[in-house]
Amino acid sequence: MPYHEFECSKCIPERKKHAVIKGPGEDLTSALPLGYLNTIPGSISERGCAYCGAKHVIGTPMKDVIHLSHGPIGCTYDTWQTKRYISDNDNFQIKNTFATDMKEKHVIFGAEKLLKQTIIEAFKAFPKIKRMSIYQTCASALIGDDINAIAEEVMEEMPEVDIFVCNSPGFGGPSQSGGHHKINIAWINQKVGTIEPEIISPYVINYVGEYNIQGDQHVMMDFFNRMGIQVLSTFTGNGSYDSLRGMHRAHLNVLECARSAEYICNELKKRYGIPRLDIDAFGFGTLAEALRKIGMFFGIEDRAQAIIDEETARWKPELDWYKERLRGKKVCLWPGGSKLWHWAHVIHDEFGVDVVSVYTKFGHQGDMEKGISRCEEGALAIDDPNELEGLEAMDMLKPDIIFTGKRPGEVAKKVRVPYLNAHAYHNGPWKGWEGWVRFARDIYNGIYSPIHQLALLDISKDDIPTDKGFMTQRMLSDKDLSEEITSSTVLRQYTGKYDCLSELSKKTYPGFDPVLADAA
Amino acid sequence: MDDLMKDRIEQLVDYIMKKCLWQFHSRAWDRKDQNEGVLTKTMQLLCAEPVELETPADRCFWVDAVCLAEAYKKRYAWLAAMNKEEIKLLMQGLHERMDHLTITGSLNLELTDRHY
Repeated sequence: MPYHEFECSKCIPERKKHAVIKGPGEDLTSALPLGYLNTIPGSISERGCAYCGAKHVIGTPMKDVIHLSHGPIGCTYDTWQTKRYISDNDNFQIKNTFATDMKEKHVIFGAEKLLKQTIIEAFKAFPKIKRMSIYQTCASALIGDDINAIAEEVMEEMPEVDIFVCNSPGFGGPSQSGGHHKINIAWINQKVGTIEPEIISPYVINYVGEYNIQGDQHVMMDFFNRMGIQVLSTFTGNGSYDSLRGMHRAHLNVLECARSAEYICNELKKRYGIPRLDIDAFGFGTLAEALRKIGMFFGIEDRAQAIIDEETARWKPELDWYKERLRGKKVCLWPGGSKLWHWAHVIHDEFGVDVVSVYTKFGHQGDMEKGISRCEEGALAIDDPNELEGLEAMDMLKPDIIFTGKRPGEVAKKVRVPYLNAHAYHNGPWKGWEGWVRFARDIYNGIYSPIHQLALLDISKDDIPTDKGFMTQRMLSDKDLSEEITSSTVLRQYTGKYDCLSELSKKTYPGFDPVLADAA
Repeated sequence: MDDLMKDRIEQLVDYIMKKCLWQFHSRAWDRKDQNEGVLTKTMQLLCAEPVELETPADRCFWVDAVCLAEAYKKRYAWLAAMNKEEIKLLMQGLHERMDHLTITGSLNLELTDRHY
């Protein structure tokens, strides 16, 4: 097994089996790190907890819901507004956060009364919102508060409201991924099938594992609407509570982030016979294939092809402008879970960059199987890295940029490696053809920012040139390019708008096909 | 199996591993179904044989199979020179290799979990 041992982790020998370098001729039966295990004591993990995974990642993108944490105020504060999953109801779920604010006295005497009082107060404070998710935390789990019983009591007293209870305390798994699992299963057990949705198209899908980061879901909805597909629910970005109760009536589950949402797809397949289609919607070729597959499933692939042709013609010259300037740049692809495999091959194919390392904070071995398969040989794969390992890897690999979260990202900046926020994005959306060009632009701006010329100088010892100005981005990025490329009249930089979403909300669509009796 | 056949199977495996997701469902029994469903239909498409599309599950396997068969035809010119029997033998070898890499030889400790 080609394990990689970090110098900084020699004092934690168990860490050795959490990193591998895929060498020539090696495959998944010989190169796969351990994964989804409890963090080894002594290793300062970058992971989140199972409560965070349930609430912050999956629960809170639901838009028309009061998201209430039953626990100390810090639990909800630390999961508030740290991810940009916008919604089309004025971002109610991002603007507001709710907690019972448990204190020591509640730990001793119980907090069920407090919980009931808080639920009623919250509904009264926001009378238009009739749905609530309650999230258990370590504190309320340890004292044994019966959240389900309180929720039932309130629903009896207030029949117009509906409450979902997610029992996923922070200690309920090795990482946030434990919370993904728990909320998936809780939702299908408690809520799916409790509403009968209106079916208005012969082509009905659930769009699963999509969290509408900076509007990704809006972009994808535009494509589905153009194809005449009814999206019964989005699990969960910009999704509404009641639409997600009707997931059992879809004809197909289209799954993006399998890491966080494959559980509900698997259960929907087992319980309701709805097949699961895994797609990659990041990238030109991958998104085109995804739409074609969905189109073929329903026999409307011509509609997918029309979108593919139009979008590719519009955006390809801009993608290629960036590709010429990003070719050969070294990337550490260090996201949380699914993006290590969603992006590993397509940023190589379509941006021309080389992925020299992949890591996952909370992914499972299944994510590493996908990620390692999609990387080129020689890539360093790390499971649940700690900060020192990240620093050692950057020193060893000398990446031009890393794609990661904001905690390790800020560490990278300190050693003068630019980073892009892989979880919440820089200037998203990054899905769709235009979104993919926006991602390329962000990478270009990250790598070629003139600030690095200044940042790399140490004013305490370096000579500061005063006889020349800074080099611009174009001077830096074009210096080794051929005349044919630099003066191309075909290739061009991004020409979209700063806000590429507002136009989508004004669009009208031809309408759904009539529902056939046997398709309803 | 001769070296040429082995080399061709590895090319087909490499494409699936880099470009597809269907082979990496979370449990061993799912992976078995997926490999069987998609690769059988891919073989039928490559051999111009009828493909069963009775159930939603069939259609889901089929859309992945269509994309895979198209990609194979486009990338691997040597496929066009093979007859049906040779293609069936090739696809059987591919199926066995995929089962080995994703199920029987897999190091993924979660594959045998009883629940999702």
